[in-house]
Amino acid sequence: MAGLCSVFSVCLCLLGFSAAVFEDQVGKFDWRQQFVGKVQFALFDTHSQASKKLLVATEKNIFASLNSRTGDLFWRHVDKTGPDGHINTLMMHGQDAVVVVGNGRLLRSWETTVGGLNWETVLDTGSFQSAAYIGVQDVVRYVAVLKKSAISLHYLSSGHQKWVENLPESDTVQYQTVYSGGNGQVFVLGVVPNSHIVIVEYNIEDGEIMKQKSVAAPWLSSLQSSCVMVGSGVLLCADPTTKSLYTFPLQSADQTTMTPILLEPVLISTQPHPARPPLSEFFLQLGPDYHILLQLKDGLVSTLRDFNPSYLVAFATTGEKTVAAVMSPKNETVSILFILSNSDPFHLHTYSASVINLYSADTGRRLLDTTIIYSMDPNGGKPAKLYIHTFLKKDDSVGYRVLVQTEDLVLTFLQQPGRVVWSREEALADVVTMEMVDLPLTGTQAELEGEFGKKADGLLPMVLKRLSSQFILLQAWMSHLWKLFYDARKPRSHVKNEVTFETLSRDEFNLQKMMVMVTASGKLFGIDSKSGTVLWKQYLENIQPNSVFKLMVQRTTAHFPHPPQCTLLVKDKVGLGSLYVFNPIFGKKSHISVPALPRPILQSLLLPLMDQDYSKVLLLIDDQYKVTAFPSTKNVLQQLQEMASSIFFYLVDSSQGRLSGFRLRKDLSTELIWEVVIPTEVQKIVGVKGKRANEHVHSQGRVMGDRSVLYKYLNPNLLAVVTESTDSHQERSFVGIFLIDGVTGRIVHEAVQRKARRPVHFVHSENWVVYVYWNTKSRRNEFSVLELFEGMELYNSTVFSSLDRPRPPQVLQQSYIFPSPISTLEATLTEKGITSRHLLVGLPSGAIVSLPKMFLDPRRPEVASDQSREENLIPYSPEMPIRTEWFINYNQTVSRVRGIYTAPSGLESTCLVVAYGLDIYQTRVYPSKQFDVLKDDYDYVLISSVLLGLFFATMISKRLAEVKLLNRAWR
Amino acid sequence: MSSPGGQGGALSTRGAAGPRRMKWALELSLGNTRGRGDRQSKDGDVMYPVGYSDKPVPDTSVQETDRNLVEKRCWDIALGPLKQIPMNLFIMYMSGNTISIFPIMMVCMMAWRPIQALMSISATFKLLESSSQQWLQGFVYLIGNLLGSALAVYKCQSMGLLPTHSSDWLAFIEPPQRLEIMGGGMML
Repeated sequence: MAGLCSVFSVCLCLLGFSAAVFEDQVGKFDWRQQFVGKVQFALFDTHSQASKKLLVATEKNIFASLNSRTGDLFWRHVDKTGPDGHINTLMMHGQDAVVVVGNGRLLRSWETTVGGLNWETVLDTGSFQSAAYIGVQDVVRYVAVLKKSAISLHYLSSGHQKWVENLPESDTVQYQTVYSGGNGQVFVLGVVPNSHIVIVEYNIEDGEIMKQKSVAAPWLSSLQSSCVMVGSGVLLCADPTTKSLYTFPLQSADQTTMTPILLEPVLISTQPHPARPPLSEFFLQLGPDYHILLQLKDGLVSTLRDFNPSYLVAFATTGEKTVAAVMSPKNETVSILFILSNSDPFHLHTYSASVINLYSADTGRRLLDTTIIYSMDPNGGKPAKLYIHTFLKKDDSVGYRVLVQTEDLVLTFLQQPGRVVWSREEALADVVTMEMVDLPLTGTQAELEGEFGKKADGLLPMVLKRLSSQFILLQAWMSHLWKLFYDARKPRSHVKNEVTFETLSRDEFNLQKMMVMVTASGKLFGIDSKSGTVLWKQYLENIQPNSVFKLMVQRTTAHFPHPPQCTLLVKDKVGLGSLYVFNPIFGKKSHISVPALPRPILQSLLLPLMDQDYSKVLLLIDDQYKVTAFPSTKNVLQQLQEMASSIFFYLVDSSQGRLSGFRLRKDLSTELIWEVVIPTEVQKIVGVKGKRANEHVHSQGRVMGDRSVLYKYLNPNLLAVVTESTDSHQERSFVGIFLIDGVTGRIVHEAVQRKARRPVHFVHSENWVVYVYWNTKSRRNEFSVLELFEGMELYNSTVFSSLDRPRPPQVLQQSYIFPSPISTLEATLTEKGITSRHLLVGLPSGAIVSLPKMFLDPRRPEVASDQSREENLIPYSPEMPIRTEWFINYNQTVSRVRGIYTAPSGLESTCLVVAYGLDIYQTRVYPSKQFDVLKDDYDYVLISSVLLGLFFATMISKRLAEVKLLNRAWR
Repeated sequence: MSSPGGQGGALSTRGAAGPRRMKWALELSLGNTRGRGDRQSKDGDVMYPVGYSDKPVPDTSVQETDRNLVEKRCWDIALGPLKQIPMNLFIMYMSGNTISIFPIMMVCMMAWRPIQALMSISATFKLLESSSQQWLQGFVYLIGNLLGSALAVYKCQSMGLLPTHSSDWLAFIEPPQRLEIMGGGMML
């Protein structure tokens, strides 16, 4: 009976949390963008003329098909992260694409129209070297896969293995290339570095070694980087040290060498059809911007055309024609024409453009009318890769489209004469950190605000000014009403609000914000949170991979005449670190002088102090524990001197397991005041989190069943430090959690979760810490929650000082089983902190669950009592449910969620959520439902008609009553 | 055109009204005036002399038995609130401690009645003026009302409507001001 009661009460509690979206709300305030990442291989479907498919395989282990007309995704396959899912090669033949995945672990064939898997074969172990189609008499039948010590041949139709052979002397020879000229043989080329090349010829039918020979090549270290196959079975190798080219016909027994003198050679050749030998023409790259087209004929190399300067070259084939595309910097005349012809004033800033031209591969002649002008984004990077899609026009001439990938990972698809068909910002597949910044007020609102800032200049002008601004407001309101009325007549799908800088302004509930996103490639984006439109982008060059980014909002939009200001601290593992200051709304670099950073920066600290121009003070701590202030005006330095004794910071060195706390001195040096060492032999620090600076807690305590108050321990200086054991044995591994006061270094609480292992995710907010770990004993994911309370009375209700805390807090803890693994964890955040909190849990399946914090409450009783029922505590049950209506992103899965960002909006009930990973998903959540807004389906017509009806009814009945009274008076 | 004289009769000239032979007529009786059919009173056509009243005049001379009656009546007034208390207790017991519209209405009524009585206590004292034990009765009346309001307060208390617990003041506690500024993190 009690069980039934508790189940019933749980159900009652759950009734309040159905936060799912209705069908007509889909896409109303949320959006998703899908990305693929940095492209490694791109192939156009040349099977049929009308095909719109573009196949890409990327460094994010994604194999996808894009619509080459619009740039949208047809389908996308997300493989495992890490080397297991790495795509080694992508080849296409007809409708099918063959992919080798996971360092030669799997061979897959995909059907490219719908993205279905044709077949999959598990290959023998061994590190993958190369793969090639093998054709016999103009028909492609087989795929050859070359491993470090074996070669295998598979049927293209079924994936079955035809034969597998071990390679001779594979321990000394590095086999790197497989080649087939289409005449029934398979050549495997290997190299003994700095000694000789080994060429093994296999019979295609049974894998028997036909021939085996070795060619002396003491200058050669790697085949893949310096050799190509040219013509019918000629191996062409370049020697960078002596700047020479070598050729060797595979079929012949004698060995030849040819030595024209050349510079920094890189070779590019093409094999238009796998069943036929490659072309005898090839590109030789002599410098970074210098290519020549060469032809090898009868053992002689002749220059067809010289391209200087040229950024990128590529071959493409359609039908029987093979063309070479060359991207070169535009010459002046073209650029002027281009600028004149382009009416869009925004593109006038495009000062660097390049020209892509087609050349006939056989002769080197330029094909007429094949110029594409590629205008480079001044805020972008240089072009890095060029993919050409050629097709035969009706008049048998060659038409083409170009896919350009730049250094900042923009994929641009162009067609003649330079029209951008689409472009994709693939840098957004790797967002590192982000912030949401309020949009500025509109001009009129700002005008009104500005009135208060100015000094009074007489009563009458003030009144006049006020009247005029009110009039402007009225005007704006009327036009807004008119727009509303105008839009209401159109169906909703047709109303498309184009977001531009002109229309960018804060809405009445501050629900629309600017998302400033920092990506790993060093590109910054400003995205409108309502529509997902990229409003500005800025590419920071020379960002090392694995750099650390820290984005801080120094000045918000609230200080009107001063523009908002964001500061990005970039630091790579060895460098000094640099600051990039910009306006987050327009993306423009700020002209404020940035302090010189002569020493490596260890950490930064954004103080709540403000300069005269309302920018918050940023402290940068260098490796000698000296502090640099930015901005460092006299006012700031004076404030810092006054405040110095109350400014503390902590540093965590996870390699040495040391946490240290420092106090600022008046001369901006620091003194070490505490140090906690966690021995690295036993455990290492995984993460440390403080509280978010913009978090507000409305209620200082919790009301008990007997109506007394249990006060929360709200220490703003508390740090949650999570460690894990170095011993990963499942019996001995553990996860530790330390709650440390960042000012005094006092360990407030310490807990060890035995038989637990990473991945550990944790959230630290208000007076609680929630962490998730893998329980090795029971083999499941578990949530654990720690909650800290001061007790039944507050020690000091007016000020909080970590230095004066005589009593330790009471700590409560409870754990729960969670039925799914977890990718990331974050808590919702609202303006005033009145709304109840939810945890946003990103699952590997791509779903985001909004889990009420109520379920993670260590005060949940095992047996429900009257008092606990009074408190609305759900009786404890170890299993945490996942209800389908808690999925805030319904079917819009977010692949590989890396992080969730939450920001408060102007409405207390609403929290803005951005989940980023491979995809970006933005939505709003209402943890306590929308208590401060009318529902979407609120019946305005009914209510207003009832009101009007009642009003008229009162009027009429009043009149009637008067008449009746008068009549009665007459009697 | 109502006649201000009331029963004094109505004078009407009918010269222009109808084709009568008389040049004028004075009608001293009520009721026959034209068009005032509903004003016809049953006692009708008789003229009473001036000063006549058809209601009997009561005998107002004070008698000894009446004084006892007054005393009794005054005690009734004074003991009224006290007499209500058992009834109120019963209602309190019946309505329970849950917060819903019915008990709230009961409590409001229970609280409002003594307060109203206390506010109009001077009027009650005036009523009791004729009694010889005026002050005692007044005191009893006051005590009764105070007891009634105390009962209402007790009821509010048991229903949890009084802000007597610390949790009732929780929303007014401001977040404490922090004295130290702290930040930092993992070494970059």
